[in-house]
Amino acid sequence: MSDIGQIRQSVIGAASAGDLEECLVRLRRSDIPDPERAWIYCQLSETLYHKGNCDVAVECARSAFDLQPEKEEIANLCAWVFSNCGKHEDAAAAYERLLAIRPHWAAGHRHASGSFAAAGRLDRAISHGMKASDLDPYSFEFAFHAACLLEAVGRPAQAADYLMRAAALDPADSGVLRHLSATLFALEQGEQAVALALRAVALAPSDRLNALHATELLLRTNRYDEAAAIILDVIDIHREDPVALRLLSATQMLRGLIEDALAAIDCALALTPEAAEYHLHRANLLYRLGRLDEAAEAFGRAAALDPSNPDAKRSQLTVYFDSGRFIEALAIGGELIRTSPDNEEYAQAVLQVLHRRFEMLDGDYVVLSERPLRRPRDLRPRPTIFAALQTQLRVIYALMIRETRTRLADSKLGYGWALLEPVLHILMLSLVFAVMMRGRPPIGDKFFIFYYTGIIPYHLFVHASSSMTNAITSSGPLLQLPLVSTFDVIMARGLVEVLTDIVVAIILLAGFFAVGLGLLPHDLPALSASVVAVSLFGCGIGFVNAVINAFFKSWDKIWAQLTRTLYFCSGIFYVPGMMPDWIRDILAWNPILHAVDWFRSSFFPEYEPHWLDRSYLAIVAVVSVAAGLCLERGLRRHLYEPL
Amino acid sequence: MITLDGVSKVYRTRSGRRTVLDNVNVTFESGHNFGVLGVNGVGKSTLIRLIAGSEIPDFGVVRRYARVSFPLGFGGTFHGALSGRENVAFIARIYGAGIRGVLHYVEEFSELGEYLYMPVNTYSAGMRAKLAFATCLALDFDLYLIDEVTEVGDQHFRQKCAEAFRERMQRSDIILVTHNIHTLRQYCDRGAILANGELTLFDDIGTALSRYHRMVQESL
Repeated sequence: MSDIGQIRQSVIGAASAGDLEECLVRLRRSDIPDPERAWIYCQLSETLYHKGNCDVAVECARSAFDLQPEKEEIANLCAWVFSNCGKHEDAAAAYERLLAIRPHWAAGHRHASGSFAAAGRLDRAISHGMKASDLDPYSFEFAFHAACLLEAVGRPAQAADYLMRAAALDPADSGVLRHLSATLFALEQGEQAVALALRAVALAPSDRLNALHATELLLRTNRYDEAAAIILDVIDIHREDPVALRLLSATQMLRGLIEDALAAIDCALALTPEAAEYHLHRANLLYRLGRLDEAAEAFGRAAALDPSNPDAKRSQLTVYFDSGRFIEALAIGGELIRTSPDNEEYAQAVLQVLHRRFEMLDGDYVVLSERPLRRPRDLRPRPTIFAALQTQLRVIYALMIRETRTRLADSKLGYGWALLEPVLHILMLSLVFAVMMRGRPPIGDKFFIFYYTGIIPYHLFVHASSSMTNAITSSGPLLQLPLVSTFDVIMARGLVEVLTDIVVAIILLAGFFAVGLGLLPHDLPALSASVVAVSLFGCGIGFVNAVINAFFKSWDKIWAQLTRTLYFCSGIFYVPGMMPDWIRDILAWNPILHAVDWFRSSFFPEYEPHWLDRSYLAIVAVVSVAAGLCLERGLRRHLYEPL
Repeated sequence: MITLDGVSKVYRTRSGRRTVLDNVNVTFESGHNFGVLGVNGVGKSTLIRLIAGSEIPDFGVVRRYARVSFPLGFGGTFHGALSGRENVAFIARIYGAGIRGVLHYVEEFSELGEYLYMPVNTYSAGMRAKLAFATCLALDFDLYLIDEVTEVGDQHFRQKCAEAFRERMQRSDIILVTHNIHTLRQYCDRGAILANGELTLFDDIGTALSRYHRMVQESL
């Protein structure tokens, strides 16, 4: 024992004398049992630590710990030396050893947590920190420590639990309230977070961190005016705080006080002129104020201070573009494309600049040289009713000419058909009935004239009403001409048909005279009246048909069928007097029958049928014209689809 | 001068009702050329047809204190079976112009030669456009409406058109719809933007163009 005592004495003595080498050599050489040697290493380590020789103290402590790891006192002292000398990994290992011996040692867990945290192993640090606070729930410091670690690794829900524990232990600690507020905000409990932040500010009004935190939360929850009140208080105390000034600038910007925001960021930049983010913010403010040149310069500063962030340069390009400085914009665009050639957005931005530049060049060049100067002309008076009528007649006339030309051009037969159709009808009817009637027509003695008086009024009606049916549908492009209305195209067609039929009728009659079968009408006024009446009726129905056909495209086919039935109901090749009374009474509803008989009676003086009601045809004609015109007028907007 | 007084126009399309103009009150002053800007399908052509009178507004009145042309660039009025001359004569007759003078001008300008005696449906699209252009220039309008004229004919004819228009613009105005910014700047001194049923006039084509650019970019 004395041997060991001597050795220990000599070792410690050598150590205190400063002869470290000598002392360590003696310790290694001497034949001492491990427990004793560990103990001596311990003492040596403590002595060396107090002397300020940390490195060797740690060496000694390691040796001691390696020799006797399960000894509580040794582990305790080693942990103390390690953590004081900054050897956190070793300290953590020592604390874990101690905790293996005394698992319910709350302070030990706290120490281990601290060491692990310092060594950067946060998972272990957190589990020890939580253990410490759970073992001693009444320790404010343990709870706060665990919460801070949890907050740092982004586990706000658990952090909030420990912060609430800490806040319950010391409700007056504003720091805890601030941390709790931050975690609650991360958990999206904005209302509570803001309330806590405001309470923290109320507890410690002069605390800068509390105030900055509260301001930020108020800004994020859109309570700009309250934020402004707090941040202005902070700046009253800490006049030279760039962070607070930056926050003030943000607050004023959000309140729409761009000028004030600019003043604040200028103050901040006077304190820290190298902060790239501050320059970026200032540039945005200048841009919003429309001070484009200064904004461009500020973006440039920001880009120069932080070359890794391309956003500043991209913004600078936009500012140059907006202020029309295309050359500079292109230069910036070139830099952007050189640094990131694969960025499509940059390429498009540059392209846009190029496009605009060309446009501007064109514009300037043209404005200077080519645009003629002239004086405003006198206003033309709007046309009078007379002039408008004149125009309309002109248009209808033009349309009629076009219509006849078209008809000539459309088919080989052209106008031949207009003449041929009634001739064929008359010839056919004459042939058939000449055989059946043994050479005598029902009235008079000339077959041709009898059938002629049937066919002409019928054709006047049918040709006009059928041809007008297609007037709108077949002249779509024409209606694009501003002066041409739907009325004009319908009217023109009707007039062409009526005039054609009248000319044909005259030619035919002349033809009959030429072959010696002619007969002059005995009552010319009656003849004219019947022609006018049936033409009017044809045109009136034609207008109605044109409107119906505009909405119901196959109406023209149905109408063609209807006119075919009319052929048999209108007394063309017979006299209604030949019919039984009851049939004649039904047929008498047909206005065309009256037209035929009216026309016929003007040729044959002996023919004066008692059923003939001239006023009936006249009234029906007038009513149909009125109805047709009203329909056309009322539905004019819907009659055709513009191209 | 053209005045739109409370003019509204709504279209029924397959996808529902679309408002082209909604109670628009504007005046196109004489002595200025207007370029109409608007995104595709907003109704620029409808506006032109309303000004021309080819279409009737649902509400309101369009007052024309000038002789307004039919929308140019539109050869659709030509009847395919009729010859070029007959078609030209028809339009001259409608506008009450001397047929002989108009035909002479068209013959000179269109350079269609013997083709003028042939049916229009034997023409190529370019020849039709030439005929339409020549006819429109032959008639002495106060205001020419031009709806997206695709560049017609060869270099020579285009130059001729431009020259004729420049000469005509000494005494006539134009309202022009085109996406070609070069043409707009060349011919127009004022601008109009058609969007969301509103028609906004600008005293300067440059302002109108930059506003339109901004509008298009914002909508992207």
